[in-house]
Amino acid sequence: MPSAGYLPRERKNKLKKNNFIEKTILSFTAFVREAVFSEEIAARRGFLQEFNAGIKAFSFFSVIICALFLRNEQLLIALYALCLALTAASNINTVFFLKRTLLFIPFFTFLVVLPSISALFTPGDALWPAQICGINLSITRQGIDGAVLIMTRVTVSVSFVILLSLTTRHFELLKALKGFGIPAIFVMTAGMCYRYIFLLAELIERTFLAVKSRTGGLIKAAHGRKITAWNMAMLWRRSYTLNENVYAAMLSRGFSGEPVALNSKGAGDYIRLAVFITVSVLFLAADFLLRGHGA
Amino acid sequence: MKNENIFEVKGVEYTYPGKVAALSGISFDVKKGDRIALIGANGSGKSTLLAMLDGLIYPDKGSVAAFGRQLTEAAFNDGDFTKIFRSSVGFVFQNPEIQLFCPTVREDIAFGPLCLGMNSEEAGKLAEATAEKLGIKDLLERQPHRLSIGEKKKAAIAAVLALDPEVLLLDEPTAGLDPLTTRHIVEILSMASGEGKTIITATHDLHIVEEIADIAYVLGKDKKIAAYGPAGEILGNRRLLDENNLAHVHIHSHGHEKPHIHPHIHGKNK
Repeated sequence: MPSAGYLPRERKNKLKKNNFIEKTILSFTAFVREAVFSEEIAARRGFLQEFNAGIKAFSFFSVIICALFLRNEQLLIALYALCLALTAASNINTVFFLKRTLLFIPFFTFLVVLPSISALFTPGDALWPAQICGINLSITRQGIDGAVLIMTRVTVSVSFVILLSLTTRHFELLKALKGFGIPAIFVMTAGMCYRYIFLLAELIERTFLAVKSRTGGLIKAAHGRKITAWNMAMLWRRSYTLNENVYAAMLSRGFSGEPVALNSKGAGDYIRLAVFITVSVLFLAADFLLRGHGA
Repeated sequence: MKNENIFEVKGVEYTYPGKVAALSGISFDVKKGDRIALIGANGSGKSTLLAMLDGLIYPDKGSVAAFGRQLTEAAFNDGDFTKIFRSSVGFVFQNPEIQLFCPTVREDIAFGPLCLGMNSEEAGKLAEATAEKLGIKDLLERQPHRLSIGEKKKAAIAAVLALDPEVLLLDEPTAGLDPLTTRHIVEILSMASGEGKTIITATHDLHIVEEIADIAYVLGKDKKIAAYGPAGEILGNRRLLDENNLAHVHIHSHGHEKPHIHPHIHGKNK
């Protein structure tokens, strides 16, 4: 197939229109590849990978709660350093983790908290006086302090969540939901959905390639919509048949409606949970003491 | 379990929605330890018959009995019978994608034993032991969608063998597999047969039939049993195979001969 560079402008435009479908499908398959990559990290040998998923979820939950209550930026940075130490101990490339956590999260959080740095929302000592149409939009020290605190909190919290998802196989995370009171049948169904989403993703990709191999990638928009609608209908039909067959396979192995699953490894490892909770409490105590000292 | 016959199939007829006939007047008995091959072209009703023997669908006419009890919806409402039946009859589906529905192979192998009341620790150990027996221990933590078709087939068989069923029903266990994996599957079936299991295999891979079955039933285009008998005799009946789309012709040559056409079946030196 010739590359788009050799095509006349009119054909290039058509290609761009068709690329919408292609991009959507490729984004979906990229998501699948990403999930597979995360599973590969979770399957490595490492400190956090050895944790029981439920215990790890509760442990990280305690740290995140702690981060939400900390008001001292140095302590929040220390908590982030702990997160990086855990990352290194879990056989995850630190640069890869820093890129994931430091590139976008602080930036987007900054955009969200941007209005709060002005005197309009956070009155205080003006660092950069500004007044537009009589409205005081001066940037205040208190506003900046608040914004930095929120950005640090969000970065630390999201980093721990990312670390949890990277070091835990997704279905183990789903199983951990049972510990949070989610019904077992929901967890089992979600696990099966997770397993079959890959199969359906492959099906979509192959169907798309089959269409592309016959059309050469150039389809009129109206025809493209027809093909997409037809594929959606076929996919629904196939997933419905799959659903019936999977249920028959479950019945065949003795399924009676009661959800079942193996226990996760390391179940009952409450010492690690206690260590995390203790660390969280110590951070909160230090924050309390530092605030008292500051006052 | 007093009855010598494990299955008694009498005058079974089955029609799919849309009046598509799948089985028409099928009758046969299966005795303990039998090794049976159901052979027939695509759409001859082999998979439907296996699903019926596994109590997943019920005949429109006629009856199917297992272990002396009719397989009906009412029978499967009896929890005790269901438990005994499901632990005694294992069904390996043609498409392993539908049989491997758990997030990992370990979970899949343990699923049956867990459903039948085994505790998590024992089921986990059983999954390991079964995987080791079939030489697939390295697949235990893998996700089913990341396996090759041969690995999926082996994992699906392991998931059924974990129940240690008395009867194994297999639907096209070697379809689409490379020769080495096919050989491995045949060896697994031979091992199961050596343990005294009753094995019923639907296949159109004729080259494995004599190894996995003593008796062969040919399902014809008319959805009836066209013939049955010792597997060797059935496979030697060229006319029967031709009539039922089990042998085929194509242009080929032997050694230095000119290319020519005659009917033959692959894997059989007749």
